[in-house]
Amino acid sequence: MAQEREIQQTLCRMCDDRCGIDVHLEDGRIIDILGNKDHLWNRGRLCVKARAAVDMVYHPDRILTPLKRTGGGWQEIALEQALDEIAARLAEIGGRHGPRSIAVWKGEAIGFGQQEDLARRFIHALGSPNYLSNDSMCYASRYLGFTLVDGGWPVPDLENSRCIVLWGANPPFAHPNMTQYITAARRRGATLIVVDPRLSAIARRADIHADLRPGTDGALAWGLVHQIVEMGAYDKDFVARHTVGFPRVLEYARAFTPEAVEKETGVPATTVRAIARAMAGAAPHVAAYVGNGLEHHENGVNNIRAVAMLDGLLGALDREGGTFFRGAPPLRELTLYDDVPLTHLGPLGADRFPVLYDKRRECHTMTAMEAILHDDPYPLRAMIVTGANPAATNPNSTKVLEALESLDLLVVRDLFMSETAAVADYVLPAASFLERTELHAHAKHQIVSLTRKVVSWPGVQGEYDFWHDLAWRLGIGDSFPWDDETALNRWLLEPTGLSLEELAAHPEGVEYGSARPGGWREHGFETPSGKVEFTSEYLKDLGFDELPVYLSPAYVDEPDQEYPFVLITGARKLLYLHSRFRNIPRFLTAIPGPEVEMHPSDAVALGVKDGDEVRVVSRVGSVRIPVKVMSPSEIPPGTLQITHGWKDANVNLITHDDRFDPISGFPLMKSVEVRVEKGTRGPDALGGVA
Amino acid sequence: MRIVVVDPDSCVACRNCEYACAYRQNGDFARSASHIRVNFYPEERACVPLTCMHCAKAGCLEVCPAAAISRDPETGAVEVDETRCAGCKMCLLACPYGNVHFDKVASVSRKCDLCGGDPMCVRSCTAGALQFVEADEAVDRRREAVDARLRRILHLDKAEK
Amino acid sequence: MQVTIVGNSAAALSALDSFRERDQEASVTLVSAEPGPAYSRVLLPYYLRRRLSYEGVFIRRMDDYARLRAATEFGVRVERVDPARRELQLADGRRLGFDRLLLATGSAPARPPIPGLEGPGIHSLWTLDDAMRLDPLFREGAHVMVLGSGFVALQGAWAAVQRGLRVIVVELLDQILPRVLDAAAARILHEQLLAYGVNVRTGTRTDGLETDRCGRVRVSTGGAGPFTVDAVIAATGARPNDALLPECLEPGRTGIPVADTMETGVDGVYAAGDVVRGPTASGGPREIHALWPTAVEQGRVAGANLAGAGLSYAGSLSMNVTEMFGLTVASLGRFVESDGDDVFESRDLPGIRYLKLVFRAGVPVGAISLGEPEGAALLGRLRPFVRQKRPLGDLPAFLEGRDLDWRLLGLGGIRTTALAPEASKEKAACASSS
Repeated sequence: MAQEREIQQTLCRMCDDRCGIDVHLEDGRIIDILGNKDHLWNRGRLCVKARAAVDMVYHPDRILTPLKRTGGGWQEIALEQALDEIAARLAEIGGRHGPRSIAVWKGEAIGFGQQEDLARRFIHALGSPNYLSNDSMCYASRYLGFTLVDGGWPVPDLENSRCIVLWGANPPFAHPNMTQYITAARRRGATLIVVDPRLSAIARRADIHADLRPGTDGALAWGLVHQIVEMGAYDKDFVARHTVGFPRVLEYARAFTPEAVEKETGVPATTVRAIARAMAGAAPHVAAYVGNGLEHHENGVNNIRAVAMLDGLLGALDREGGTFFRGAPPLRELTLYDDVPLTHLGPLGADRFPVLYDKRRECHTMTAMEAILHDDPYPLRAMIVTGANPAATNPNSTKVLEALESLDLLVVRDLFMSETAAVADYVLPAASFLERTELHAHAKHQIVSLTRKVVSWPGVQGEYDFWHDLAWRLGIGDSFPWDDETALNRWLLEPTGLSLEELAAHPEGVEYGSARPGGWREHGFETPSGKVEFTSEYLKDLGFDELPVYLSPAYVDEPDQEYPFVLITGARKLLYLHSRFRNIPRFLTAIPGPEVEMHPSDAVALGVKDGDEVRVVSRVGSVRIPVKVMSPSEIPPGTLQITHGWKDANVNLITHDDRFDPISGFPLMKSVEVRVEKGTRGPDALGGVA
Repeated sequence: MRIVVVDPDSCVACRNCEYACAYRQNGDFARSASHIRVNFYPEERACVPLTCMHCAKAGCLEVCPAAAISRDPETGAVEVDETRCAGCKMCLLACPYGNVHFDKVASVSRKCDLCGGDPMCVRSCTAGALQFVEADEAVDRRREAVDARLRRILHLDKAEK
Repeated sequence: MQVTIVGNSAAALSALDSFRERDQEASVTLVSAEPGPAYSRVLLPYYLRRRLSYEGVFIRRMDDYARLRAATEFGVRVERVDPARRELQLADGRRLGFDRLLLATGSAPARPPIPGLEGPGIHSLWTLDDAMRLDPLFREGAHVMVLGSGFVALQGAWAAVQRGLRVIVVELLDQILPRVLDAAAARILHEQLLAYGVNVRTGTRTDGLETDRCGRVRVSTGGAGPFTVDAVIAATGARPNDALLPECLEPGRTGIPVADTMETGVDGVYAAGDVVRGPTASGGPREIHALWPTAVEQGRVAGANLAGAGLSYAGSLSMNVTEMFGLTVASLGRFVESDGDDVFESRDLPGIRYLKLVFRAGVPVGAISLGEPEGAALLGRLRPFVRQKRPLGDLPAFLEGRDLDWRLLGLGGIRTTALAPEASKEKAACASSS
């Protein structure tokens, strides 16, 4: 019998790097996935997550029929029936409590382009401003931090840089392809500086590793400002012509001597000077990148703003070899914020965190929990969750579960029965990335690609079909007029002048524009003043300090003897992304389970060895987890790290949903005060996740 | 012939190469099945990938008493023919780098075979530290890597003053 | 030029390849008493065990010789070498001239003078012929006695166990593998034999054997009553086939002595393999190392020098590895310590039941391991240190496979960070070459 073999080229979405892939099929079944050597972004390189995507797509636990919760357990029902019932319940809840009692929650797994915008469109069309997403905890702080300073978040021009500075970012495990570009720069003599409390994978290659205390990055950044100014190594012309607030910067930076910075951050004064000199020496070709590591702190946004300031100070902003703005493709706008602004309805969290809503139209997930549980500020009674697993990934899992369980209606779209799906009223089968066709852009190379629907199952809907079908049942079908994904794609693509056919013929990506450094210097930055804002009037008007003043993290400022350790959570692993992929047996052969990383001297003091189980306790809760004793230079004494996403040792039982960055509302998850207890009897606080 | 050249100055010990090789050999990510091994020394921050160099004078090939090891005429790779291997392990003794591995279940020796000319480790290297280049180019690459490091150190030294 | 090679096993084949790499012109003839093409003696027990098929024991095909343009005289015995006339006298009366000659005649089983040891029912395990004769006797439930406990004897016993025979091993000396393992290692292997149901009698003299009319053999041993077996495998050592150059032999010593070039006392006549008393890596007196890897190495040098390369053999490392009774036994160099040696012994490395490293003046000279194949790999990595007489440096790191030879990486002498060492939290990368 002839075995029909073919290769379909598309993009991988096991993480957000979106590498070009060759999907090998035999008789219509995927048998292997390899890198597409022609794709400009990854150039054929591929991590093993993509190879095992085959496992995910055909996993025996994949949900392929809609499930309805009944007294006797899960009942399989037809898709039409599920959609009918969900629509009816939504209509009823919306009728009783008003449309804003309904929210959608979009997760990392489904992506950030049109899938995000479809969710935003739906909820707005429904009359609710409540769009929630993983951006409550990732990306938005950096977006705000950089945008408040620069008017946007520029992309570092790594390969052409002469000095790369990574702040709380670990590309090999988070954005693997970035690593290649870093290597290219280093091969041309660029220095690499890594700011991270841990010796992360990329830190192993750093010329200077600043292993500072968690959450003190702002102090280091101000210390670098101090040094650069003292050396006279800043771009006087750029500062004079393109920035506002420099006098205040000068004044405030004075206190951040290297010695003062050493006291606050733990980074030796000589290192602070060395970093400054390295950056000054390489200026203006200094490329900095900030990772999620700086976001989960109570001072996160200002720390990020301080880091962003350095780009302008060194004249590296909007310049080749530094960092410059690379726009997204000019796709049609799918969201309805301009057509149907619903600010007057009080989007959840917009009053507490106005900047988040103003700049990102992003509601605040932790506030949503209060709305669900306490009707504060008003009742939130129904939620549609797509590609997200907040029961595992939001802080204070106990409360999250409590809230989700108390909803009148919870609908979850997912590939598997996640912790969140497990408490839903309806679980709908969702299409994986190999089952959807959508547009993706790689801003760095200014290319747009079209992914392919490689395989499909009847009744397993892609995002567009789902929102479309639900919309039509709820009387907002006009907002979802396209017949299918492809029609939508065509509509979105039109302003670019490119055709879907062209994209389909070029899986390696088609150029939609060319990023030109210097454009913003010429025409002005997209800030209120048209300049780089070291000081922000906008923030001042909202009652914040106009300058990114530095606030010591609580554990530094007021150390608590009862919780003497500082806990970082969420360090990335190559094979797992958030709560995903633990159900792929092959992955477990490489990384079998959770662990708490600990310095050897702490292990000795606690009397524990590698593999011993301990209980890590915060003011929020506790979690039992085995110890991993690291090498002395891998983690500082007094600091611990636990990677999230493990069902049997869920660190989000102990992270804070009650302490936030005041500007972005991001929760405290990477400088949490904890203590460690030996011995393991007793359950985790208030029980673990089901 | 082309061989896999490693650049420890770029390697971050992410082990993607080990997982990729293990996947090809074993269908899973158990590092013990991989023919490329990355040694990581945290205190020295040294990441050293080690893999078969398909030596011009391959000790394993010469010593095999079953004539089970030969050189692929196209790729130049030194390969074990599993059907001929009796499991005597002389090749393990003959390799000075420990690059021949023994499969206790199948009771045969296994080693890198350059994946037939498109090595998976190179395709999956996150940092671009592994390259598949002509053997004589390997020396040039090494020199380039050393030059790049010198340049960085000189720059940092200069900055220090 | 006419180059003639007598032999068709490890040394001869290695020499043939090595010669032809350098010289494609000269005429080459290979003469062997056994029928061709070449098979591997090492593989015979694997065949008896049914690990390999009959075809699997052959390591050359007839067209391999043709490809190397070597004429072959298989099944032809050489009676005498006439160095003056530079001729071989063959058993069938012919004479073959040579310009250069390599004697790779190997060794043959040596038997002690025990009455009845030459009778039917007593087998060697040396040639393919021997293996073919033994094979039908390897029936499940049959009884076999193995006389001797060297590598060949124990490989025979192991094959028999795997085919379901009942086995008794009789060894004259107080331990098994007496000249190979030390007492501690021998004890471990002995336990394994017992665990597999082998009856092991060390310190036992065999007085006589008698084959009855049914072909069974009645064995008398000192210290216990006689017993009867279906077959006897006599593997009590080997003797070099050194009779072709009697004038070169040293009084009271077997084996043809050779220089570092593998040349014998006769001009243009080389020798390699089991037949040779050759240089050792430790630089001590010449020894016979009847081991496959040694034969390969010596053959390689001899073959090169037949082509005028003028190479010098660095000496036999005496390395060997066998798998039997669930253990991989690997040995290298001089691993039975003498006065003045330092010894490192370990019984709890992962996968290795017993490891011994012998050092002299800080330099490793030999090692032996019993356990999993990891031991063989470890000894493989140790080999260059023994060969080059180089100290190991960090022993624990070496044992874990985490030794780092910066020179190997070409990174010696370069710092990886530029910070002053006195900075309080400085983490200077290790950079100096070892």
